[in-house]
Amino acid sequence: MAIRLLAVSLHLCILSGIFLAGPALAVSPPRAKAPTGSTPKVSVALISESAAVEPGGMLWVGLRQRIAPGWHTYWLNPGDSGEPPTIEWALPPGWSAGPIVWPQPERLPVGPLMSYGYTNEVVLLTRLTAPADVQAGTSTALRGRASWLVCEKICIPEEADLALTLPVGGVKPATAATAPAIERARRAVPAPSPWPTSLRATADTVTVSVAAPRLAADRIADVWFFPSRWGVIDHAAPQAVTIDERGITLRTARGPLPAAAESGVDGVLVIRERLDQGTVSQAFEIRASTEGAAAGSRPPFALATAVGLALAGGLMLNLMPCVLPVLSVKAIALVGHAEAPTAVLRRHGLSYTGGVLASFGALAGALIVLRAGGAEIGWGFQLQSPLVVGGLAYVLFALALSLSGVLVIGSRLTGLGKGLASRPGYAGSFFAGALATVAATPCTAPFMGVAIGYALTQPPTTALLVFEALGLGLALPFLALSLIPGWRRRLPKPGPWMERLKQALAFPLYGSVAWLVWVVGRQVGPDGVALVLAGLLLIGFAAWIHHGTRAAAPRWRRAATTVALACVAVAIALAPLAASSPSSSAPSPTGARGEPFTPKRLAELRAQGTPVFVNFTAAWCITCLVNERVALHSPAVAEAFARKGVVYLEADWTRKSPEIAAVLQSFGRSGVPLYVVYGRTAVLAPRVLPQILSEGVIIEALEMI
Amino acid sequence: MSDSVSRRRFLAHTGAAVLVTGASATLGRPRPSWAAAAKVGEPAPGFTSTATSGSPVSLGSYKGKIVILEWTNHDCPYVRKHYETGNMQSLQREVTGQGVVWLTLISSSPGTQGHVTPAQADELTSTRKAAPTAVLLDEKGVVGRMYGATNTPHMYVVDKTGLLVYAGAIDDRPTTRRADVQGANNYVRAALEAVVAGQPVKTPVTRAYGCTVKYS
Repeated sequence: MAIRLLAVSLHLCILSGIFLAGPALAVSPPRAKAPTGSTPKVSVALISESAAVEPGGMLWVGLRQRIAPGWHTYWLNPGDSGEPPTIEWALPPGWSAGPIVWPQPERLPVGPLMSYGYTNEVVLLTRLTAPADVQAGTSTALRGRASWLVCEKICIPEEADLALTLPVGGVKPATAATAPAIERARRAVPAPSPWPTSLRATADTVTVSVAAPRLAADRIADVWFFPSRWGVIDHAAPQAVTIDERGITLRTARGPLPAAAESGVDGVLVIRERLDQGTVSQAFEIRASTEGAAAGSRPPFALATAVGLALAGGLMLNLMPCVLPVLSVKAIALVGHAEAPTAVLRRHGLSYTGGVLASFGALAGALIVLRAGGAEIGWGFQLQSPLVVGGLAYVLFALALSLSGVLVIGSRLTGLGKGLASRPGYAGSFFAGALATVAATPCTAPFMGVAIGYALTQPPTTALLVFEALGLGLALPFLALSLIPGWRRRLPKPGPWMERLKQALAFPLYGSVAWLVWVVGRQVGPDGVALVLAGLLLIGFAAWIHHGTRAAAPRWRRAATTVALACVAVAIALAPLAASSPSSSAPSPTGARGEPFTPKRLAELRAQGTPVFVNFTAAWCITCLVNERVALHSPAVAEAFARKGVVYLEADWTRKSPEIAAVLQSFGRSGVPLYVVYGRTAVLAPRVLPQILSEGVIIEALEMI
Repeated sequence: MSDSVSRRRFLAHTGAAVLVTGASATLGRPRPSWAAAAKVGEPAPGFTSTATSGSPVSLGSYKGKIVILEWTNHDCPYVRKHYETGNMQSLQREVTGQGVVWLTLISSSPGTQGHVTPAQADELTSTRKAAPTAVLLDEKGVVGRMYGATNTPHMYVVDKTGLLVYAGAIDDRPTTRRADVQGANNYVRAALEAVVAGQPVKTPVTRAYGCTVKYS
């Protein structure tokens, strides 16, 4: 957050910098005092991102250390020896200072020992907050005393008084001299890790597992974990790093502090990634707990446990609002036919179970095959398609109408009906089972996540077994009722309550429909919602016309059926239309998420003179991820896109795409990230942004349009 | 699709890599096996080293006595803090007066900061009015590595039965400021008091602070 605010104010600085020639900021480099009387090994300066103080405002300042060649200063955790720098602030009344925000450290081996720190130059950031009552027109002197240890082979403690006098006024541009240093420091501060991380400790080793799937292992040059506390790991021990489809696993020697690893560890993971233009370092703040949120790194539990959990999850599914009505109606039908021959009922139960198991098998099979093909999908993957979601809304709506009594789908679907012993009756039960499965997919019961997560990491046969256990759990209540006559006798006596219950059960289904329409809204925006709602209206009309003319003359009935079928056909035709309605109108849940890139779309937009920002990215590209997290998807950038009327296209290269590869090649690139800004006219060449982005860089580029 | 086929495809798709990253210094030559170093709660590893007098001193000969090990480097600012304030010497005097053995160890290799000849070491003891039982010259760093000594000062307490009961800093103020000696919580004194009272040491392991031990 702090980083974002920093970038926003940085952006304001740049904006105003276009119009104002900033007055040079007087930074008098304070003399560092070296107790030995020799020249100080570190020259320090207090630098500011902004040349003025804003009443009640926030100001990022940096302690810049220029370190003599061969010498180093220390990080928050200095490693095997040393001491991190401190700043004792002596600020005017009302001011407050935050803690030091540490840029990513380097590892500095000293003989057999290891230090963590900085060489050459480092800027340690601190956020200061001004009181609201500072008088505009005056000036404020910010003072403090910095102490640090600087070491080569020997160590020297040094200290210096810091002073920086800033005028009080609006936010003014940062000085040209100090802004880049603050910007560099900001980029070197670790970003929160997007990946779940867990920790395993033995008597001698500590293993940190970072669930970062699908990293391009061949592009990773180096990985190092810097713990933020002493004692958890042996700082100097080699770190054995494995990168595979599950993520990064790092094993190293345990540190000397007893029980330290058991309470978890936090620190900074620095990954050096090879890009086209050289190697970049990305730092992530990680917090690994022994409880471990990462499913992939958990010790896998027994198949039996997974099957048990799946069975329980399947049972739970019966209580979900989308499934309960389907099951209840079947159960009600049983009530009405409690006296039917046991063999017949048993066959119905088995048909229903068969329907559930067959459809679960089909779904799981599709899931397994797609995942083997490299698709990163989980349970409920089918709901990623607005077409499927719309279709599901139609089916559940029709089912709800039938429960409300508007439509009689009749014996085949919802009940055992008159043709209890007839074959179509069994087919109906089988179909009801399939329907229950379809209706169940959006409702993930609490136990299912774990079991499915396990299933998907297992060989296909094991995965299928777990999925079928889930299906069996779903089918179990009805199966039990049909197989065990004793249970059936416990059912209440048939009566008018059955009809009323059926009608009441329509409402959970209507609720499910409302939810599915909302999902469509998230996926394709209000236009898609309108089309799906129109489809539902048509289905309602078709149901009414069909039901209302049941007692009419055959001629009328035929006409009504024709009209009803036509309505349903139109409704069905609307669904793909809804699914393909432009997604740019969809509200994005997390800042700017662009519409997918196609060369055609880009050409269209450019022909219209619309400025375009194209983000060539991939899920396995760490730099892309960091850029999106710290800059591209931030509200400030989204606001700038909106203000400048820029269309944001995302070219996702996670999976191979010859189209995207061709565009990358046209920019002389063989990989991502690549950021291109196209201006309003085709005359101007598109502008390629640096591979490391900040909000400031993007906003500045957008301002040039 | 069989399991092996899909897995092979997956690996081919994403690639898998193993890196071992370590400091070149630690990969290039055998690093001290800190894993085998002294562990608090276990018997303190035995050693024999040479005192400034030239006679060998071995830990085993002090069985039945409490032994304190102090790693030092007289030019290290952190060591100077404790000697120039008289803090280290007064602790030495206080505990040796109670029959505790105090061994000061110097593991700086020749040519590095803190390395001294026996004569220089004795002179330092007399000019600083220090009161160790003996000063041991460990210029090859054998004992230092055995104990995993990383810093100067780095303190160890061995109880009468030969168990290592404390390893770490001298106190809880990891600075070079002389003013911080006053009011600091001295871990070594606390450990000694616990050992004498027959109680477990409350804080048996702390992060030693100071300068790196100048191993070769």
